[in-house]
Amino acid sequence: MPRAAWLVFVNEFRLLARDRVGVFMLVVAPVVIILVAGLSLGNVYGVAAGQSAYVVPIIDDDHGVAAHFIISALERESAVKVIKVDKLDLARAAVEARDRTPLAIIIPAGATRSLETGGVVQLELYVDPVKRLEVSAIESHLDKLCREINMRAQGEFHGKLMQQDAIVRHQLEQADQDFATAVQRYQGQLRKQRKTVEASLNAQMKGILGQFEKEGRATIERSTADVKSALTRDIASRRDAVTAVSRYLGALQASEREFDNWFAALKAIADAHRVHLPPPPTLPASPPKEELSELSKPILVPEITPAPTPVLPRLRVKLPALPPPPRLGLPAGIGSSIALITSSFPGYLGWREHPITGDIAEPNAFDQYVPGFGITFLLIAMLMAIGMGLIDERDWGTLHRLRVSGAPLLGVLIGKMSCRFIIGLLQMVILFAVGRGLFGISLGQNPLLLLIPTAAMSFAAAAFSLVIACVARTHDSVMPIGAVAAMVMSAIGGCWWPLDFEPAWMRTLARLLPTTWTMRAYNDLMIRHVPAVSALTPTAFVAALGLLYLMIGMIAASKLYD
Amino acid sequence: MTMLSGETVLEAIVLRKSYGRRVVLDGVSLTLRRGEMVGLLGPNGAGKTTILSILATLLRPDGGEVRITGIGAGSHRYELRRKLGFVPQSLALYQSLTPLQNLELFARLHRIDRRQARIESMQMLEEVGLVERAHDRVATLSGGMKRRLNLACGLVHRPEVLLLDEPSVGVDPQSREQILLTVRRTADAGAAVIYSTHYMEEVERMCDRILLIDRGQLIAEGTTAELIGRGGRGPLMEISIEAASPSGWYGGLAGVVELRNAPFDGRMVLQLAHPAQVSEVLDCARAAGVRIVNFALHSPNLSDAFMALTGRALHDANAD
Repeated sequence: MPRAAWLVFVNEFRLLARDRVGVFMLVVAPVVIILVAGLSLGNVYGVAAGQSAYVVPIIDDDHGVAAHFIISALERESAVKVIKVDKLDLARAAVEARDRTPLAIIIPAGATRSLETGGVVQLELYVDPVKRLEVSAIESHLDKLCREINMRAQGEFHGKLMQQDAIVRHQLEQADQDFATAVQRYQGQLRKQRKTVEASLNAQMKGILGQFEKEGRATIERSTADVKSALTRDIASRRDAVTAVSRYLGALQASEREFDNWFAALKAIADAHRVHLPPPPTLPASPPKEELSELSKPILVPEITPAPTPVLPRLRVKLPALPPPPRLGLPAGIGSSIALITSSFPGYLGWREHPITGDIAEPNAFDQYVPGFGITFLLIAMLMAIGMGLIDERDWGTLHRLRVSGAPLLGVLIGKMSCRFIIGLLQMVILFAVGRGLFGISLGQNPLLLLIPTAAMSFAAAAFSLVIACVARTHDSVMPIGAVAAMVMSAIGGCWWPLDFEPAWMRTLARLLPTTWTMRAYNDLMIRHVPAVSALTPTAFVAALGLLYLMIGMIAASKLYD
Repeated sequence: MTMLSGETVLEAIVLRKSYGRRVVLDGVSLTLRRGEMVGLLGPNGAGKTTILSILATLLRPDGGEVRITGIGAGSHRYELRRKLGFVPQSLALYQSLTPLQNLELFARLHRIDRRQARIESMQMLEEVGLVERAHDRVATLSGGMKRRLNLACGLVHRPEVLLLDEPSVGVDPQSREQILLTVRRTADAGAAVIYSTHYMEEVERMCDRILLIDRGQLIAEGTTAELIGRGGRGPLMEISIEAASPSGWYGGLAGVVELRNAPFDGRMVLQLAHPAQVSEVLDCARAAGVRIVNFALHSPNLSDAFMALTGRALHDANAD
């Protein structure tokens, strides 16, 4: 077994040495991709001054120190190249048209004054939402700059604040002492005044109370006399009634005795004629009821008329004039000290974004990657279907059979490419639908417009695959050559990362690729929300490149297969 | 075999083709008549496939001309192709489609309308014994079935000229028989057939005429008997003897030569001038004291003629 393993081991190397495609995939393909990625993304990790720096149009409406400072600071950044423009339209046009110009900055009028007086200054950033990463890169520079300016202002303010704090503190301490002394003195004056007023009040109250006592006593005596007189009259009337009763009672007692005598005599005489006895003598009449009722009347004690409530006379107090209270004012100099502080509050420098198109667009990563990777896989699918398919058919013999069957090569190729063109179109439509459904990508104002660049790209990809089928010539070499070509086209064309990351020469090269123009059209429609007509120009480039590929492919195919 | 009285339908006149400095065809001319079946023989690399490709208008000759029913391939390729049926050596089939779909596609490419294409396709499937598998994917068919379908695809439009490039290679005897039968029927129906193969017995059995190609040139042409005759070799007598015999014991017989004499392994092969010399050889042996255990007589065939005419050296170095 070791011998077999060794022989197979050696044979594998021999086979690999003769497998050019395998070696290509092992070494050349990754090197090409690494090279493209490295050259494309080189700027992300650093940039030589002035060479591939981001261009930033700046409108200076302030013309002050702050604007000068901001512009100077940006000019010192190696990654930024500042160009001054006068109007917003020019700045917008620059952002839309120029490479590596992701945003324009407006320094608003009065920024310097506002910063000096503690105001908030917002730099207005007009950004291309498609160039999110580049915008972020510049915004990070701006953040740093704003932070520096804000920190410097805060530092200066802090120094002034500490200085003024010491002065004010001293002034306040002095004022506190003065105030305590004044309060003490004032309190003494107040005590003296109070004593005077108290004495005056006491004297007045004493007089009033004496008068009250005298009047009260007279009132009581008068009332007592009235009561006594009333009682005497009442008792006298009752005494007559009592006399009458007493008399009656005496007469009654005499009558009673006479009656008893009479009755006894009568009884003795009448004995058997008792029935013929005369009626007894009449008893004396009782005193009249009115008289008797007088006796039963309760003795009315006349009410003592209460003394009238004395009316307290108004006290007349003449308050002495109070001494002026101690003055509570702040120290004379403290106002200017505080004014100095408030006037030197640090301002705040910040920025806010506006989309360059005037439309709201908040792209996410999928807005870049769904169309970008969609194009990549569209290219790869086309290569497999047309490039590899054509070579397969040649190898199987079906291509010859198709031709012998009366189908011209042109017809065969157009048939194949038309079918794949529609499949490519559907592939992209499905990818966009998935992107919308799963990732919430923007499909622009009218999703149907996306079909225009998609159709152009599908056509170009089909034509490019034909070219690859003619270049690669064998089944085994289509995929490595085609896949590397597709990946390079995608990478350089801005499908995987923003085009502005790439160096200038690569961006120039990118203009020759349909991927670049398709991505531009997608970005215009999906993110920038530009009018549909704006997407026609890049689409026309894609279609033109597709036609070029088609011509090359047809000529090559007719030589190879016809 | 049919009577060779039909009109000429295919003419190839002085065809030349080179790939760089390598000459593949060097002035080959041939004609084919309606209903005639011509075998195209030759070693590997002789130029057979190149000839067929040129005749099928898939390859442009550097020189010469191809005419089918009087139509030149140079100016009327597409019109000419409609008269052609081509069965390549490879299985030129769409493996993921069904046999019926393959046939209908090629029929419709030949401008047969949809309905007729279906009818013709089903008839072809019946002819090659694939009706029951009409709706299965080609990939699921056996090798023999695919070969039969490959043939059917070249016949579905009933071509006037049928070009067959080893149509029966690698199939079982039953499938081969079916293929040969179908081809014969096609020729009998009036098509002119060129049949390229390495199976000599097929050519012997099927073809009216044989073209022998070697190194890009037509080195022999004629019926089977004519070619065997041109091979110039008589019958072979293979003899087994008991022990080493004196050399030249058959020396008195005119035209008899030993083809194999060393190292001696108990057998020897004599080429005779004619079969009647067998008894003379036996007499000589008896007279010389050579004890013959047994012997066999081989009449010359097409394979012998082929070897004689093309030589025994390998021809692969010049493969096409």
